[in-house]
Amino acid sequence: MGCSSSLPDRGSGRLVGPNVENGGAADAKNLRVKLVLLGDSGVGKSCIVLRFVRGQFDPTSKVTVGASFLSQTIALQDSTTVKFEIWDTAGQERYAALAPLYYRGAAVAVIVYDITSPESFNKAQYWVKELQKHGTPDIVLALVGNKADLHEKREVSVQDGMGYAEKNGMFFIETSAKTADNINLLFEEIAKRLPRPALSSSSSIQNP
Amino acid sequence: MENADVFTGLHEFLERMRQPSASDFVKSIKSFIVSFTNNSPDPERDSAAVQNFFAQMEVDFRVHPLWAGCSEEELDSAGEGLEKYVMTKLFTRVFASLPDDVKLDNILHEKMALVQQFIRPENLDIQAPFQNETSWLLAQKELQKINMYKAPRDKLVCILNCCKVINNLLLNASIASNENPPGADEFLPVLIYVTLKANPPQLHSNLLYIQRYRRQSRLVAEAAYFFTNMLSVESFISNIDAKALSMDETEFEKNMESARAILSGLSTDLNSQPNQSDQPVNINKEPTAPPKSSKVPSLSDLEDKGAALLVNDKQASQVFRQYPYLFAHVGDLTVNDVEDLLNNYKQLVFKYVCLSKGLGDSAPSLPLKSSETQDRQHAETAKQQDHTRAAEPNDGPSKDTDRKDDGSNTGSLFEVESLESKLSEDQTVAPQDSKHEESSQSQLS
Repeated sequence: MGCSSSLPDRGSGRLVGPNVENGGAADAKNLRVKLVLLGDSGVGKSCIVLRFVRGQFDPTSKVTVGASFLSQTIALQDSTTVKFEIWDTAGQERYAALAPLYYRGAAVAVIVYDITSPESFNKAQYWVKELQKHGTPDIVLALVGNKADLHEKREVSVQDGMGYAEKNGMFFIETSAKTADNINLLFEEIAKRLPRPALSSSSSIQNP
Repeated sequence: MENADVFTGLHEFLERMRQPSASDFVKSIKSFIVSFTNNSPDPERDSAAVQNFFAQMEVDFRVHPLWAGCSEEELDSAGEGLEKYVMTKLFTRVFASLPDDVKLDNILHEKMALVQQFIRPENLDIQAPFQNETSWLLAQKELQKINMYKAPRDKLVCILNCCKVINNLLLNASIASNENPPGADEFLPVLIYVTLKANPPQLHSNLLYIQRYRRQSRLVAEAAYFFTNMLSVESFISNIDAKALSMDETEFEKNMESARAILSGLSTDLNSQPNQSDQPVNINKEPTAPPKSSKVPSLSDLEDKGAALLVNDKQASQVFRQYPYLFAHVGDLTVNDVEDLLNNYKQLVFKYVCLSKGLGDSAPSLPLKSSETQDRQHAETAKQQDHTRAAEPNDGPSKDTDRKDDGSNTGSLFEVESLESKLSEDQTVAPQDSKHEESSQSQLS
């Protein structure tokens, strides 16, 4: 019920740009970033991503079927670009032990809960702890309360979410994949928080 | 599609290596391959050596006159050609070369053989609207091709194609049932289920081999994501226990016992005529030997019965509404519908052929036009080949059809995909070391 289910665009472009060695940055001006999505099943992880990717039309981004992997480039005001490669994970309890395979090497983790579900908020806190222990050092963590359009069913208050995020030094936002509220803001804020490689150092990059 | 120049792969690479100015490259490649035969297997060291060699050669290609003025695609293609050539040569030396890996392959294979006997989609949280066991056969088929290839990229493509089929099916199911578009919550469970049912050969060794010898700079983005899913499938399956399937301990053990009995029954009964009374357990779960009964209605009987029911059913039009193209006119269709139509068609053929086979109908036939008959034969051939696949590295025309179909299904879904069609002509050739390579052999060895 999180988001509309029309067909994703079938248009596709070839992946452009140089192949870079595994890792984050392409160069100081054009970052390539692995972002992993964690959270209970049914909180709307894939809806958030679909909304983000569909909302901004970028002819060079590859649009694929399904939403388990999507990539999207955004341009920031300082004329840099950030290409997010978004890795979705299965949220069911039985698959929790597999998560390290996915968040290994991620520069960003977006941990999603459903504001109508206290259990999903508990689960989100579990993921925060796990990432603090085992995630990439310097990983950017974002806590997202989704389904913010369902006010009347709200069971996790804004204060609870914000308070927990502040205590753990995370970025916090409430979103609605359904109405698109705050979806772009979420990714823009994450982009601003990414550690930037020093402008001079692009030595680890394959020569063009 | 792309420029014909880039549709060359291994062949194009070997052509370039025949140029006199390539002699230094030929020498390095030759000596690199020879250097491997002198050492005993050491995966860590071997993998690092191969990756470094590829990286160095790619740097050298870039500045060499042979590739002067070439595009990124052509350089990339040269790198692919090199990888394919070198790894085909090193394959027997580096694939499943350690006894421990062989052992893990066997353990995993046995586990899948057992669990596949009793696993249900519900055990993995696959929601009802997304359950589609008949169509999942298509995905299983892709995965089972993995040992037909030696090059890491080609093996990886089998995995990616499997994932692609699943994604398509999930997407269709989500549209049909008005569910949210499928994400990992839907995808991973189906991939696990499909893998269990496919029980692909030497899965553990294949994954290690791709991880170690696929050029690291190409195992990125979408390919990396779906490869990671396959690693996570392996991990999940190795650790399957009662809890992982939401079964209670005794039920799980009982199921495993029955599965063992079925498997051992299978292997002993293969020689003698199967006699149901000899098999003590769960004969109704036995997938390959359905209880024989003279009362099985024929296909046409069933068809007549169904037609009679439909005629009397006031809701009949509801039923047909599930099939979006049934009431379409030619003028309503656009090129964009071809993908969906083809998918629907394949599902239909598979379902029909499977049902027919299940009923023991030896020669199922749809009322097809002659131009369609070919497709039907492919579907049937493909099915028959399920049994002989491992023994036949080259399954001829039906494979070509599969490849083309897959390509048209998804356009440029995977970044390696355009190379797929590019190399497809080589794929049947390379693993067998025939023509192209033999002729280059004189220069490369």
